[in-house]
Amino acid sequence: MHCLVVDDDAEIRTSLTTYLQGFGWQVSAAADGQVMRQLLAQARPDVIVLDLMLPGEDGLALLRWLGTQADAPPVLMLTARGDTMSRVVGLELGADDYLAKPFEPRELVARLQALVRRSNKGASVQDDTRLLRFGRWRFDRLTRQLISPDEVGVALSSAEFRLLAAFVQRPGRVLSRDQLIELTRAPGVEVNDRSIDLAVSRLRAKLGDTAREPSVIRTVRGEGYLFDAEVAPC
Amino acid sequence: MLKRLKSWDGLGLRLFLLMWAALALSHLAAWSLVLQAMHGPSAARPGPPPLHAEGGFGPGAPSHDGFDSAGPPPMRTSAAGPSGGGGPGAAMPRHMPTFPSLPPSLPLTSSLIDYGVRLVVIALAAWWGSRWLAGPVRRLVSAARELTPALAQGRPAPTLSEDDGTREVREAASVFNRMAAELSGQFEERGLMIAAISHDLRTPLTRMRLRLETGEVEAKVRERCIEDLREMNRLVESVIEVFRPAEVAEPQRVDLSALAQSAVDDLAETGANVSFAGPPAVVRADPVALRRVVDNLVGNALRYAGNARVRVELSAGVTRLVVEDDGPGIPEAELERVRQPFRRVEGSRNRDTGGTGLGLYIAQQLVRRQGAALVLSNRSEGGLRAEVVF
Repeated sequence: MHCLVVDDDAEIRTSLTTYLQGFGWQVSAAADGQVMRQLLAQARPDVIVLDLMLPGEDGLALLRWLGTQADAPPVLMLTARGDTMSRVVGLELGADDYLAKPFEPRELVARLQALVRRSNKGASVQDDTRLLRFGRWRFDRLTRQLISPDEVGVALSSAEFRLLAAFVQRPGRVLSRDQLIELTRAPGVEVNDRSIDLAVSRLRAKLGDTAREPSVIRTVRGEGYLFDAEVAPC
Repeated sequence: MLKRLKSWDGLGLRLFLLMWAALALSHLAAWSLVLQAMHGPSAARPGPPPLHAEGGFGPGAPSHDGFDSAGPPPMRTSAAGPSGGGGPGAAMPRHMPTFPSLPPSLPLTSSLIDYGVRLVVIALAAWWGSRWLAGPVRRLVSAARELTPALAQGRPAPTLSEDDGTREVREAASVFNRMAAELSGQFEERGLMIAAISHDLRTPLTRMRLRLETGEVEAKVRERCIEDLREMNRLVESVIEVFRPAEVAEPQRVDLSALAQSAVDDLAETGANVSFAGPPAVVRADPVALRRVVDNLVGNALRYAGNARVRVELSAGVTRLVVEDDGPGIPEAELERVRQPFRRVEGSRNRDTGGTGLGLYIAQQLVRRQGAALVLSNRSEGGLRAEVVF
């Protein structure tokens, strides 16, 4: 696995390189956008760690440039702030994930692995559309909330968000609990059968679905769950 | 020219002119009315009605020396002179008052009209004059009251008009404006500086965190250092939060219960002892800020009590978000104090609790921005109750 680190702080570059190499990765490091472009021309890394605050061309400008490149690797953005605004800004501009400084090194590794795994599996890591529509509901994937038919924002927990994000990408398909566990795995939390069932019942409650006659998330006995709604971007 | 005139426009001059005009007007009005009442409009003129040398209508009646300069026009003759006990009196009708004698009595109705008219005219004048005094003071009070929250929330400081009112009012307005501008400038500068320092601390914190992973550090030392780094980072986050200019977000209709439930579920996922109960309730708020409020209040409860129960209550048009815990609560005397920045319950400033002292302050700021109120109280069973009242 090959990771490219772009950060203007020399010591962060070197220790991050050492740390990631400890996992048997190949790591290259760039201090600014110019070096980053040179390195990208030489070899395509599997993933890029990009600092938001860079002298000269900043992280957002580089992110935009990467967006114009064909077959650009997934990007994890290092931001200064860990709040929702940063996430919205970072993800909206095309980062695939983000982490606030100072981060837990283990978490960085877990996120990078997840990014690479997802990008190897299928086409795009992050679907560009922020708002999806199913039935009379809308799903805002940046602010992580549902918008009800009468325009009320209904917040989702992380578990519900991961579950719904997995469902809307596979509408009309039966997903087993094991598949859902795999799809909703996140660093730092344990996902199991029980947590999947809990998240499903919470989601149903928020969607106004009853367990007896669910119309959106159906239970397929002995097999798993099925997201029974047409999903369209809006 | 206008400027020269304005420089004369002091409160003293205004009040002087007002009193003088009020007195003149009240005499004139009383005289003509009494005249009408006594003799009818067509009656022969018996001379001016008597003047009461002592008005008795408060300090505004400058008639102590008997020489009533504000008397009705017919009186403005030498006959009313201060020495008028002798000669001139003879030339006048007999009931003409002369100093220092009391005026001859009028018929009761005329007396009442006379007093009533003066009362009304002078009351009107006093009301008008008090507006010159009270209006600017009220504006000053409300601007001063608005100043603190404006500074705290990073809004522009209130200003007073420097063109209206008397000289004193204009001066006060200009001094207040200068003071407010200086205060808000200093406040902003200080906030920017602190935010910048906090922000720049992130790079060395990141470096240290990575060094702890890559360098040769004893496991036990590493663990403690990591804990310290986390604590420092929490402080940095909170400080940035406090001093960052407020992000103005459009309030939207939010399901408060879904939001609280999500916050609780996220914490429960990490193994925290939290629970939620409540009916669906829609409020107008910024969901991001509201989520931070819930996180802060629940985080506070978990830190000091180890557990938290979150409820949403609906009663009589009021929506309440209640966070309760079974901890030690807060001494009554300190309930107000803990909402201030960097204030914590005495003796709790230790590593175990690890709070920054900003959680409740930030929560309160955000709650206010949503147009709601944060109420803290101790539960009779023990433990703290924090309520967000919409």
